[in-house]
Formats: sequence, C-alpha cells, structure tokens
Amino acid sequence: MRFATPRETVPLLLVAAIAAILPLLGSDYYLGVGFALFGWIALAQSWTIVSGLAGYISLGHVVFAGIGGYVLVLTWGAVPVWAGAVLGALAAGLFALLVGLPVLRVRGPYFVILTFGLAEFAKYVVINIENALGRFGRLILGGPPVETLYWAMAAAALAGTLAVIVTRRVRLGAGLAAVREDELAAETIGVPTVRFKLLAFALSAVLPGFVGALFVLRTGYFEPAQAFDPVISFTIVTMAIIGGSEDARGPVFGALFLVVLSELLWSNFPQVYMIILGALLIGFVLFAPNGVAGLLDRRRPSGGARAAA
Amino acid sequence: MEFLLSGQLLVAALIIGSIYGLVALGLNLIYGTMRLLNIAHGDLVMIGAYTGYWLFTLAAISPVLAMLAAGALAGLTGAALYFGLFRRQLAGSQPIERIEANSLLIFFGISIVIQNLTALAFTASPRTYQALDTLVRIGEVSIAQSRLVALAVCLGLSAAIVLFLRFSALGLSIRALIQHRTASRIVGIDVDRVQAFTFVLGFALAGLAGTLIGVTEQISPFMGFPFTIVAFVVIVLGGLGNLAGGIAAGMVLGLIETYGVALTSANLRSVLIYGVFILVLVLRPEGLLQKRRLT
Repeated sequence: MRFATPRETVPLLLVAAIAAILPLLGSDYYLGVGFALFGWIALAQSWTIVSGLAGYISLGHVVFAGIGGYVLVLTWGAVPVWAGAVLGALAAGLFALLVGLPVLRVRGPYFVILTFGLAEFAKYVVINIENALGRFGRLILGGPPVETLYWAMAAAALAGTLAVIVTRRVRLGAGLAAVREDELAAETIGVPTVRFKLLAFALSAVLPGFVGALFVLRTGYFEPAQAFDPVISFTIVTMAIIGGSEDARGPVFGALFLVVLSELLWSNFPQVYMIILGALLIGFVLFAPNGVAGLLDRRRPSGGARAAA
Repeated sequence: MEFLLSGQLLVAALIIGSIYGLVALGLNLIYGTMRLLNIAHGDLVMIGAYTGYWLFTLAAISPVLAMLAAGALAGLTGAALYFGLFRRQLAGSQPIERIEANSLLIFFGISIVIQNLTALAFTASPRTYQALDTLVRIGEVSIAQSRLVALAVCLGLSAAIVLFLRFSALGLSIRALIQHRTASRIVGIDVDRVQAFTFVLGFALAGLAGTLIGVTEQISPFMGFPFTIVAFVVIVLGGLGNLAGGIAAGMVLGLIETYGVALTSANLRSVLIYGVFILVLVLRPEGLLQKRRLT
C-alpha cells in the first residue's frame, strides 16, 4: 500500500474540515450552503470517474440525480426515508448498467451528445408519466431536518472523494486511464475495456442517485423539469473542468469556487451567474485544461503533473 | 384514420422536414469540414427567431427580409467565434480527438452564454407573433403563407448549396476538406480560408432558418437545443458530409415526427425526437446512408 499523497489527503481533509466547521457557525443558512456544496462535490467527483479518468465526457449526469429523486418520491410513505434514498441510488446505478452497454459503445463526440440526449429523453418520459398519472409536482412533507440532511450529504461528498482516490489506485483506474489515452491500444494489450467502462459508468451513477434523493428531501418537492434540469449537468461539468478532472482535488476546488459564486449571484442575478459559468468553462478549456489543480501542479514542477499541451 | 391520409398532414411533414434539412445542413458543413460539433447550433436558430420577431414587431419588416438580416447576424457571430476561438484550436498541434472534445465543451459554454444573454436582454418568457398568416389554398390543402415561404426557401436554399458544393471551386474545396483534411492541404487548398467560410456559412444558415421557424413556433431563449438534436439526427441518418442524404433524412424525420404526433399526442413530440435520436446513435452511429469512408 502506497502512502497517501497530498493530492489524496488535501481533498479529503478539506471536505472533512468544512463539514466540521460549518455547523459551528450556528445558522441554518450555513448548513444549507454546506448541503449544496457537498452535493455538488459528490456529483462532480462521480462525474470525474467516468469523464475525467476514462475520458468519456458526460453532459447528462443529471439523469442519475433525477432518477434518484424520482424513486424517492415514488417510494415515499411505502418505505423508510433512508431506504428510499438508497433505493434511488441503486436505481440510478442499475439504469447506468442497463443503458451503459449500448451507450458506451458510442465513442467520442457522439457519446458526449448522446448523454445529453439521454438525459432529456428521461426527463420527457418522466414528465409524460406524471402527466398521465395526473400528478403535476409532488410534495414531500415531514422529511428529515436540515442538520440530518447536512451530515448525510457531507458523507456523500466524502464517499465521492474516496471513490475517486481509490479508483485511481486500483487496476480499474489504470485501465480507465489506458482507455482515455488510447482505447484501441488498451483493448489490444488485454484491458477489459467494456467491463471497466461499464463499471465506471455505474460507479459514477450511484452517488448522484443518492444526492438527487437528498435534493428532493431538502426542497420537499419533486418536479421532473427541475429534477432533470440540464443546467445541473452543465454545472457539474463546469465545476470539474474549473477544478481539474485529473484527480480528487479538482471537484472540491471547483465546487467550492462555484458555490461561493452562486451564493453571491444566483438569487439576484441568475443569468449573470450562468453567463460567468459559461465564460469560465470556455476559458479553462482553452487556457488551463487541467483546471486549478493543474495550475497548482505547474507552480511546483516536483508534483510530476503532465504539462498542459 | 381519414385525417392521417389527408394531404394536409403530408404537406405539414414536408415543411417540417425541409426546415430540419436546412438546419442540419449548417451543422453538417461545420462538422464535416472541421470535426467541430456545434452544440450551440440550435442557439443560432434562436437568434434568428428573435431577429425576425424584433424586426417585425418594431419596424414591421417582413420575415422574408428579416431572414437575411438574421443570416448576416448569425454569420457575424460565426466569424467572431471562428477567428476569436476556434482558428487557434484547429491550427494547434493537438490530436483531433482532443480538439473534438475541447470544442464540444467550448460550444457547450457558448450555448449557455448565448441563452442567458438572450434571457437577460429579452426575459425568458416565450413570445409569438403573427406575420404572413394568410391561408393559401392549394387543392384541398390550406397552408399558412409563412409555412409556404419556409418550404420554398428551405428547399431552394438547400438545392442551391448542393449545386454550389458540386460545381464551384470553393464548394469543391469544402467537399475536399470533408473527405480528407491533410490531403486537401497537400493539393494546395487554403484550408484556413475554406474553414472560415464554412463556419460562417453554417452559422448563417442556422440563423436564416431560425427566422422561418420563429414565425410558426414559440420563441424563447431556451428553444434551441431540440434543433441541435434534430440536426444531429439528420446528419447521422443522412451520413456525415453527405448533404443530399441529409436533406432526404430531414424529410424522413419530418414524416416520423408529424405522423408520430398525429398518431399519439403532441405531448410525446419530445419523447419521439429524443427516442429516434438515441436509437439512431446506438444502432447506426456510422449513418444509414453513409458510404464507407476510406481511411
């Protein structure tokens, strides 16, 4: 077992420290901000497994959160709250396994736009199901208090961070890196690319399913267009790219930065916030493709990061 | 059942199909020559729709003229983006897969910026306007004038572009680039100039089509993405770089959508389009009418 490197300890400690400090400020406002922050960290880390490590860029990750939220409201009252959230996570993972096999055969830009289309497809299917049932939004009353949700989301953020760290260390991570660099070559030397990609896709879906369920518990409301909002996918991608999608630090940096920005702008200037997000995504892709984490590595060349091309 | 057999539905399908064909033509040109998948393509359609709306509402300018202004505006946007962002990307030494992935993310960002700038300027609420709405009767079929104009413009323009690509020197260079970039450079084609022209042309076509779409559909800052998806389905069905195939595929999609909705319900339109999109990509990502590419 290798010792933990700074790129592993920094994000873990950062998440743990924030989780410990925010409740000390003694206001529900900070718990709410922390809840959102941890949610985004968990989503962006999950995205990193398939899109950062394997290079299969997903523009539709919201679909897993939407499924998690939908399963939670469907099972509401029938099973205990937390069982509903776990079922949501499992359903998202199962969905990824089922669609993964055909979808992951599609490569490059076709895969990217397919993920977006898949999420929109799921959204309209759920909208039509709800319309057919005569349900226009579902209310959830008597969910867990905000402190409980806060700690559950903090656990999800830690789990997501750990998932990226562990995946990078085991054979799966090496295999995914090989897929990202040259899938054909990886296949030729015997990397089980299909199995690895499918595993990564399912892994990257489970936690978003759980997060989606928690989002619904927090707002107390489920509405398909909101639960499957493509803006969520866009925000995930932007966070991971801004922070850097090479390792577990990026999603934490990216989520921290954007949650602060969103607190400053979202409620009063939502469009300005989105414009800044779009501009940041373009700027980072062009000038710092490895994100903030990549910029930090570049300042200390001993870190051994790949130079940005 | 009688409704399904009527000429009315068939004409409606052909009109939608011809619009889809034109929108896809622009995307196909840009993707074919530069391997840049413009996710923001539908947002150019949206810009065109707003141009038509404002010119008509403020100055009573007919959509027939406004579509030229929309084409120019979208073309200028294309020129700014090509020379500001993408020229450097394409000229760089990165492998093509890297450029493809990066440009997708850049276009994703551009799409969000365009949508929200529009929402900021004109609010997010949907708009409609009445122009060219006299009904024209042809036999037993009656069509709004605006749709007839759309059909004529889309078919005429699509045909003109196919001819342009077949017979003019610039058009032939574009086709050469679609076939093989490196070889085009070797035989002396000014790749940068052809790329800039294609980029601007692709954007202009989307903007122009947008004005025609805006006359008959609701206009909102977020109306664009379904058109990107539709255009993508069309170029995959018709074959990458196969423009005549794309126009045929546009018609096929128009028929599927119109008859699919007539048989079920208007609520299922999005499900239908995204469903076809997923099926096409999963089953035949190399295209239905695609000739085998030489590599």
